Amino acid sequence: MTLQRLQHIKDHILTGNQCAGMTTPPPSPLSTHVLNTGLGVPGAGMALSLHRLHQATDTWNLLITGTTNDDGRCPGLITREAFIPGVYKMRFETGQYWEGLGETCFYPYVEIVFTITDPSQKFHVPLLLSRFSYSTYRGS
Amino acid sequence: MDPCDASSPITTHVLNTSDGVPAARLPLSLHKLDVHMMIWNLLTVGTTDDEGRCAGLISSDAFSPGMYKLRFETRQYWESLGQTCFYPYVEIVFTVTDLEQHLHLPLLLSRFSYSTYRGR
Repeated sequence: MTLQRLQHIKDHILTGNQCAGMTTPPPSPLSTHVLNTGLGVPGAGMALSLHRLHQATDTWNLLITGTTNDDGRCPGLITREAFIPGVYKMRFETGQYWEGLGETCFYPYVEIVFTITDPSQKFHVPLLLSRFSYSTYRGS
Repeated sequence: MDPCDASSPITTHVLNTSDGVPAARLPLSLHKLDVHMMIWNLLTVGTTDDEGRCAGLISSDAFSPGMYKLRFETRQYWESLGQTCFYPYVEIVFTVTDLEQHLHLPLLLSRFSYSTYRGR
């Protein structure tokens, strides 16, 4: 009975990974979610990048580039080890995104700059975007 | 345009949505992208008034098509209220194509969120 139950749980977890359609990276302490509020759909296929400010030189170090999946998400942005206190910037290529939909956008790109003091927490930095507006909030 | 009309073709309005008040005395600046040099030129530095507004951001003469950036010193603002803010600053980058229209770019701000939209 116990072995059966363990097998059932294991199958459930593996099924979840396969449904995601990719090898699931370890969960990133930082996540995002792009929503297209103009059309009421996830912002899929949006190019984005994560940067960290190098305080001494006041320049941005590019950490990772990615593209949102069909759900508007981009897993695996950063590892726990790399997620140190500092100032980060998430850049979203909003102009390119709307161009891909055959539309213009008031915002050629959106950069959200935020401060991490306690990297042991989880941070969710979503972008709710239309052609003429956007919003963001700190989630967890 | 009436020379006595000092209204800027770009205006802003900053609201502190946490406290339900205008964000007064928030430093901000307007920049324009120099596409040849690919650098930002600082056009105007200002501070919001008691209503959260900042008059005279740009003159009609200086208002030409291109990419602009409005930068709000959000950390400074919240610090002056004895609070921290998740966002050290907010920069809104936007494209101007039609000079006939007035552009109103408000910022609705709390310590952990913000939103903006293009108004007229």
